[in-house]
Amino acid sequence: MAGASGQATRAVDESFFAEKLYPVLHAVQCERCHNDNGVASETRLEFPEPDVGQDQIRAFGLSLLDLVDRKDPEQSLLLRKPTKRVKHTGGQRIKPDSDEEKALLTWINYLAGLSDEQVREARVRIARAEQRGLSALTVRRLTHSQYNHTVRDLLGDQIQPASSFPKEDFINGFKNQLEGQGVSPLQAEAYSKAAERLALAAFRGGDHHRLIPRQPDSPTDAGSVDEFVRQFGLRAFRRPLTDGEVRGYSALFLREAGRTKEFNAGATMVVEAMLQSPHFLFRVERGAGSPDAPYAIASRLSYFLWDTMPGDDLLRAAGKGELSTVKQIEAEARRMLDDPRARVAMEEFLAQWLRFDRVLEATRDRRRFREYNGEVAAAMVEETRRLFDHLVWDDQNFMEFFTADYTFVSADLARLYDLPAPAEEFAKVEYPADSGRSGVLGHGSFLVLTSKPAETSPTARGLFIRNQFLAHEIPPPPAGVNTVLPAVTENAPMTNRKRLAIHLNSESCSGCHRLIDPIGLAFEKYNAIGAFQQKMVLQFPGPRGDAARGRKPTTMEVDVDTSGYIQGMEESEFSTPRELGRLLAQSKTCQRAVVKQLFRYAFGRHETLTDQPVIDALLERFRDSGFRFRELIVALVTSEPFLQRGSG
Amino acid sequence: MARPHELSRRRFLRGVGLSGAAIRIGLPSLEAMFNASGTAYAAEAGLPARPIETRFVVWFNGNGIIEKYWIPREDGADYEMTPCLQPLARFRQDIHVLSGVDNPAARLPGPGNGHHNSMSGLVAGEMFSGRGAGGPSIDQVIARQIGDNSRFRSLQIGVCQESFGESIQRNMSWAARDRPLPPEMLPHRLFDRLFGSKEQYWIERKKSILDAVSDEAQALRSELGHGDQQRLEEFLTSVRSLERSVASLPPEYAQVVEQPPEGGDLKDWPRIAKLQTDLLVHALASRQTRVASYMLTKCQGLSRFPWLGYTYERHHEYTHGRVESPEGQRTMRDICRWHVEEFAYLVARLKSIPEGDGTLLDHTCALYIHEHAEANSHKNAGLAMIVAGHAGKMKTGLHTRVTGTVGDLYLTLAEEVVGAPIGGFPTGEKKLTEIV
Repeated sequence: MAGASGQATRAVDESFFAEKLYPVLHAVQCERCHNDNGVASETRLEFPEPDVGQDQIRAFGLSLLDLVDRKDPEQSLLLRKPTKRVKHTGGQRIKPDSDEEKALLTWINYLAGLSDEQVREARVRIARAEQRGLSALTVRRLTHSQYNHTVRDLLGDQIQPASSFPKEDFINGFKNQLEGQGVSPLQAEAYSKAAERLALAAFRGGDHHRLIPRQPDSPTDAGSVDEFVRQFGLRAFRRPLTDGEVRGYSALFLREAGRTKEFNAGATMVVEAMLQSPHFLFRVERGAGSPDAPYAIASRLSYFLWDTMPGDDLLRAAGKGELSTVKQIEAEARRMLDDPRARVAMEEFLAQWLRFDRVLEATRDRRRFREYNGEVAAAMVEETRRLFDHLVWDDQNFMEFFTADYTFVSADLARLYDLPAPAEEFAKVEYPADSGRSGVLGHGSFLVLTSKPAETSPTARGLFIRNQFLAHEIPPPPAGVNTVLPAVTENAPMTNRKRLAIHLNSESCSGCHRLIDPIGLAFEKYNAIGAFQQKMVLQFPGPRGDAARGRKPTTMEVDVDTSGYIQGMEESEFSTPRELGRLLAQSKTCQRAVVKQLFRYAFGRHETLTDQPVIDALLERFRDSGFRFRELIVALVTSEPFLQRGSG
Repeated sequence: MARPHELSRRRFLRGVGLSGAAIRIGLPSLEAMFNASGTAYAAEAGLPARPIETRFVVWFNGNGIIEKYWIPREDGADYEMTPCLQPLARFRQDIHVLSGVDNPAARLPGPGNGHHNSMSGLVAGEMFSGRGAGGPSIDQVIARQIGDNSRFRSLQIGVCQESFGESIQRNMSWAARDRPLPPEMLPHRLFDRLFGSKEQYWIERKKSILDAVSDEAQALRSELGHGDQQRLEEFLTSVRSLERSVASLPPEYAQVVEQPPEGGDLKDWPRIAKLQTDLLVHALASRQTRVASYMLTKCQGLSRFPWLGYTYERHHEYTHGRVESPEGQRTMRDICRWHVEEFAYLVARLKSIPEGDGTLLDHTCALYIHEHAEANSHKNAGLAMIVAGHAGKMKTGLHTRVTGTVGDLYLTLAEEVVGAPIGGFPTGEKKLTEIV
């Protein structure tokens, strides 16, 4: 240490952090845990987003002041934690007496040597850097489901063309994130084909959907053309057309109608063109100051709350200036939430958050789980959907999502869960008093999704709870590390706890796996299809394929220990899903995670540092309402980023 | 070579109702297009004879292999065909088996689960971004050099669809960092894209609409902030490439290329794979594109294999779990052999189409890659690959253990084999002189 500090005292200036130390901290990956979504989010060290500017990085360097002991720099937590001289969950990131440590100490000494006046100045700069404006306006593409709903409402067309578009990819846990909203050539071609098909169908055999407001006197009746272009354009672009746009589309109309001597042919052409326009495919917003701002609000409300274009009444309200005050917008949102379309929209959020696609695609080893099939998987998804709908739309405490001592089951599911058969298909059933199940944590959807075909995966279960319910991002295994677990054989039968001990006993694995595995291990009495089992059943099936048919597998039962805990959370020992459910429901991190997930879905992006006050405010309103999800939605649609107000 | 009559490329193109753009499209196996010796196109008045163009196909399989059943033990010409390579036995002289190729970008510290990072490193030589590939994939880098005169700058074709659903898992071609180019998965749609016959009126109408769309997108782009501008720019690029591809092919195609049925079992992957390969080969033969990617299974793919008798688990699950047991090894061997079988079908089809004095295979470089070497451990050093075809200076009939990276290999293939002067590729530092 003496050597390190001796060399480290040479004079440096403020640029040292950004140029020398920040790259070091980045290389040892501190920000992997020390960020707002990291498992160390509750410590005092929080790194900025990786892509922030130099000003933010410099300010961040100064903000490390809080972790420096100015009287005795070598006792600073900023030095002692990463070198693991004191307990550090992330392990030893920086070796004592290394060059990295020297760089760190240089900066610590610099910070410790600042005068009181310099510290005051630094704090002003830190505060200024954190006060960035609201994020820039964005252009969002209609999601495939929004596209289908929009053409249904716009043209009365039920063919759902987007179902055959190139599939949307999951990014940040959802399919509607900005980063995934590019338009590839194949997608552009799909839009073009769909537009052609939809436009043709719209006027096949006449104007069935009353798209033409005024019957024309002739195929090129300019008045009728103008009226059609303006009215259809208003609905397709979700705002009034500019005069230039009206001229352009009218010319397109007249050319085609003149050539074919048919009014409807001109209209078909305009519909086909508008359905490929960026103003239709994207939601273009020009900010709170633009004349179209009320229309942008109408679109935002409609696409978030109904997953479709704004209806005529909403567009009319926008036109009359009735979406100007927060009060008006809140009233509109509440009216919309009473409509069945809101259910469909929120179910889409649920399906992506809880990855129903993976439940429905799961395969189970049929030799072990004969009772499992596609219908059971569909029933599991339905079970979770019913609990969600009940909590959201019957205005219950949403944190019961984790603690509900009841569920909604079909006869198949009741059999699988060993519950009394429901009176009707999908009736509410109470769990017996001694059941360990509660809320979604006892649902087949979660238990199946986090298992392998023949066995459970405590790691997958722990990871899912961290990601989805605590909004924690866990760093992946170091690249190139062997992630193979010891094989279980008839000669070496073992529980998953024993197999996973390899993670916890290894220096490179334990840092992260301690955060994951102990959560999942508490679910070991729920097997790969979500059925309860007192003991873990090991089965050795013999050869795969045809040769194995008819051969009886050997089975073995082993006792399981289901004690678990949430690393980083005080007094978090538990041994059943029910106990974990209580912990989650009371955890601020979990409550905040629900808010964050809805935020990400609503805005189509990850939250940033500047969104934190917004998220805190949403959480406060959510909590004050007794965790009514409807109130969270209303708070969200009246928040500054949703209304694009604030920085102006 | 007997030549019934001279047919210039220009004359031949008259059947194609393209609006303006200079794009060459031809019928496969039309001898009249070539010069007397069949080594180049027939010279036209005032123009020198042009050599027959090379084609590049990169063919991908998700997950890894069982090395002992796949990689030949012996180097050089006298290697013994391993169980997985057996389907290629009759094309021994048309292929070059490579092993030892390194994917170093997969090991950079960053996000990803052992599949994501391998995929990004494999196709782009760059670290996984957390969302997608860290840069453009090799097919796109090559297409930038040699794709501009084709109706389609490049094609993306896929077969098996089951996956975990992340962008990096579902796409192998990337226009740029985080910009996936999804593959066309359905044969009848691919047929329509390539060989659909349209009326002249339809083409003109489409063109006028796309012109209007381009104008709007351009005007809108200038109003936006940086990130949104990029999104609009991408939209505009896609609309322009659509405009370029709007065409109708002459009815003669119906005699050459059979239209795949719309129905049938769309999850019968061996059937879909062959239909897609047929269309790919015809697209290459008719010069609609020079560059294509073919994704047989997805990255970390979850296909089921009923035709092999393996239905208890899915592809990725078969690569872990009980894979180290003898039956687990055999299962993976059979799965990997099926992949090679489908690749052998591509080689056979390329070889069945006459072109000039040889076949389409003589002007093609088809590269077969896997996500990993040994599957269970996600090994990304020592990857095994196959290069098929006789384009450029490619040596064939060999197994070579190379010392180099994916970047080295791509640079070698692009510049020495395909003839695409790409200049460099991430992780590439040198050319692999032992293979050319």
